[in-house]
Amino acid sequence: MKLSAVALSCLLFLAHALTTAQGQAPARQIINDAIVEEDQAKKRDLIGSLSLQADDTIPGLLSAWSDGQYFLYTPPEGAPIAIELGAEKDAAGTAAVTKISDGQPLVDPAGQPVRLKADQLTSVKTNIGIRRAIKGVLDVLELGATDPVKRLQAAKTVGYSQALEKLPLLEKRLEAETDPEVLKGVKEAVGLVKIKSPDDKVKLEGFQLLQELQTLGSYDLITAGLKQAETANNPELVAAATAALKSVDSHRSFVNFFGTIFRGTSLGSILLIASLGLAITFGLMGVINMAHGEMIAVGAYTTYVVQNVFGAGLALSPFGFSIMIPGMHATGAWYQTYFLFALPLSFIVAAGVGILLERGVIQFLYSRPLESLLATWGVSLVLQQLFRLTFGANNVQVSSPVYLSGNWTINDIVFNWNRVFVIGFAILIVFGVWLILTKTPLGLLIRAVMQNRNMAACMGVRTNRVNMMTFGLGSGLAGLAGAFLSQIGNVGPSLGQTYIVDCFMTVVVGGVGNLVGTVVSAVGIGLADQSIQQILLNPVMGKVLVLLAIILFLQWRPAGIFVTRSRSLD
Amino acid sequence: MSLTTSTFFNNRRKAEIIIVGIIAILMIVVFPILNSNGVISNFTLSIWGKYFSFALLAISVDMLWGYMGLLSLGQALFFSLGGYMLGMYLMRAIDFNGIPPFLGFLGFKDSLPAIWQPFSSFPFAVAMVLIVPGLLALAFGFLAFRSRIKGVYFSILTQALTYGAYLLFSRQELRMGGDNGFTDFRTILGYDIRSDETQRTLYVITALTVLLTYIGLRWLNNTKFGLVQRAIRDSENRVLFSGYASAHYKLFIFVLSAMIAAIGGALFVTQVRIINPGEMTTVKSLEAVVWCAIGGRGTIVGPIIGAVGVNSLKSWASREYPDLWLFILGLTFMFAVLFMPKGLVGLPAQLKSYWAKWRPKDEPDPSPSPPGDDLAISDAVTETNAPSTSAPASNIASK
Repeated sequence: MKLSAVALSCLLFLAHALTTAQGQAPARQIINDAIVEEDQAKKRDLIGSLSLQADDTIPGLLSAWSDGQYFLYTPPEGAPIAIELGAEKDAAGTAAVTKISDGQPLVDPAGQPVRLKADQLTSVKTNIGIRRAIKGVLDVLELGATDPVKRLQAAKTVGYSQALEKLPLLEKRLEAETDPEVLKGVKEAVGLVKIKSPDDKVKLEGFQLLQELQTLGSYDLITAGLKQAETANNPELVAAATAALKSVDSHRSFVNFFGTIFRGTSLGSILLIASLGLAITFGLMGVINMAHGEMIAVGAYTTYVVQNVFGAGLALSPFGFSIMIPGMHATGAWYQTYFLFALPLSFIVAAGVGILLERGVIQFLYSRPLESLLATWGVSLVLQQLFRLTFGANNVQVSSPVYLSGNWTINDIVFNWNRVFVIGFAILIVFGVWLILTKTPLGLLIRAVMQNRNMAACMGVRTNRVNMMTFGLGSGLAGLAGAFLSQIGNVGPSLGQTYIVDCFMTVVVGGVGNLVGTVVSAVGIGLADQSIQQILLNPVMGKVLVLLAIILFLQWRPAGIFVTRSRSLD
Repeated sequence: MSLTTSTFFNNRRKAEIIIVGIIAILMIVVFPILNSNGVISNFTLSIWGKYFSFALLAISVDMLWGYMGLLSLGQALFFSLGGYMLGMYLMRAIDFNGIPPFLGFLGFKDSLPAIWQPFSSFPFAVAMVLIVPGLLALAFGFLAFRSRIKGVYFSILTQALTYGAYLLFSRQELRMGGDNGFTDFRTILGYDIRSDETQRTLYVITALTVLLTYIGLRWLNNTKFGLVQRAIRDSENRVLFSGYASAHYKLFIFVLSAMIAAIGGALFVTQVRIINPGEMTTVKSLEAVVWCAIGGRGTIVGPIIGAVGVNSLKSWASREYPDLWLFILGLTFMFAVLFMPKGLVGLPAQLKSYWAKWRPKDEPDPSPSPPGDDLAISDAVTETNAPSTSAPASNIASK
């Protein structure tokens, strides 16, 4: 702790030494004068004058002051000067001395560097007024910082505090600013500061500027401005403020609308990915696979294992056996690629489990759909308990690769990368499934067997094999969904339970045996859910209403959106 | 021949009445007496009370599934709704000026939300136990059967209904205790609900309810109504073509079974003394289906045997092997579905048919029947077939 403090002050010292090499004496001189100055008001003025200086060293120097690192030293002859002590002390407890005025070491008349002890000196006192003055300067100086993020932040700080005295500075910045985003921020700040102005004309300009900008953050301040204008009984200002408010409002509803559409589409994509496998096993094969959710969990856990294989390895202890999976200790970009390996692996593992399930249980129940529901529920209990015993009852951590975390903000609408990715991924999977079902020999066989199992068998199709492959495909898709859902939600033993009801609803609403229907219903349910949430601001009630809506919808179209017509009478 | 079969059925019926009578006297009279003498612990008695309330839930599943081919995954919802309705009365009976503590925390200091007002009356609460689940079943069933939703769709929709209700009841906004539900009951009708006598009385009431339900449904199944009910299970289209409005039958049974489940739930709450949304999940519905399937569906004894048997197994296994309990349940269930389609009740008949298949190899038919004796053979066939009553049951199995 102490060591790090020493190191830090060393660094600070070094930084000072470097900046002094560039030689920006005026700023340092002003600070020195301000420290030495006795009169508080003059002191603050001196500090305030720094805000017009273009010098990157000022923030560091001022912070050091408000942190109490400076001392006053009165040489044997002459006026007192401000100094800073070096971090390294010798045996006598003295340290090198730097003058604040120019950053050079303090020398005695003989030209030898002076060394002083801290307890012989008076440290420079600060009070709340000085600290406030320093803060004000620092805020404004940030406006000129080289980092655009810092500039934007500074502009926002100034704007929301509506500090009128900083208007000239902001306007100066407005001319110099090149970064479009920061420029917008500065403009907003100008507008916000202007509506605080006592001059009605400036106020009007401010409102007009804000009306043009339509920034969401300005809403509250415009409302306040509107109230003021109403009390001042100035119809022109009231009109301007109302117009600005309306404009911001319309922008807000625009953002909400498209934000809801985006979130709804991504939720729909999640539903789609999760229920596409079910659309195949339930929709095409007629098997009610209650263990579908657990297939999703298999995929998610596979991702977890792959992640740990790329990382530090994994120790598992199911049933008291201990299994050690060694890790590759990969780092950086190589570690980040784990997800790309996890995707196909989760498909393969889940497909394998699915094929086992089909061979072991489901093949005996094709003619008894309700009983396949019960038997697969038994399977789901067993699998859940297996997860619990192997990976623990708590959720496990699956980290997001860098390329899936982060977001774009376009026009105030936030696009999270993982949500964008999930939409793209859903499109890709649907396309892939469509290709498999319509363009491959396997797809042809699958469709034949699903339409009429007996007839297909008569034509020499090995229906057993086709059933196995189809169920494997459906389960594999569930696994793939699990790999993706591990990026979005929690991975735990009951992961599957959170999705199973939604998946069944999606498939039923879409119309059993119809992939297009599943796509439409997934996106539709996602959009409906998000819109209702947006209106009610209550996710649970939204979900309940969606369930209710689905039940009512099935009154109207009992067989779902797209009906597969057949003349058979069940 | 017809004489022999009818005497056989009469004997069978007599045997059934005798066996049921003995068990009923044992459970309803002997058991509580032994308990009051201290031979049977209070714990055992209360556990059996719980099993019997579960038996009602299992019967309600069976009425729909075993007798009508409708697998409802919403029975746990009706069960817990019944529990909640009586629970509201019990909460009011905890004497905090008639305001349940959790509502006090929500800011209801002086007055209650409107739905809580009338629940200080016991008869009202009991009526609600039947009316609320009954109305919900009526509304949902009307919608579902009108648009001919059946089979798997019906299961999925009832599952969704249960899930929605679960989400709703978990919220504090409903003023139903949120995730914690109701607990900490003190009195019922002025008696201390935790005292041995009250619990014994409640146990007797539960066991009696099971007996009455058994008798009532047994009677219903022997009426023409029961025949139509089973016909719907075996071929709904033929029933429709014969001019029966099958939707009405289904709706009646759906509402009836919802009420049976709700009574079970109300009795459950008085004895287990806790109700929360955790009872309202699809998983609980599926567990009830398990009891029914393992006991033997399409009979009324089956669900009772299943509920008591599986729950005893659960009590034992979750104590002895807590980690393995779900494995045991899951595997038992898979085994029962795959290999015992008729459950425990059907097991003797199943074994008998295996035995019949296996026996001829050892000792071939003693004497080939003389020509012209076809009648005798067909008699013999009906004789062997009739007792097993496997014909309708195997129909479901092969569906």
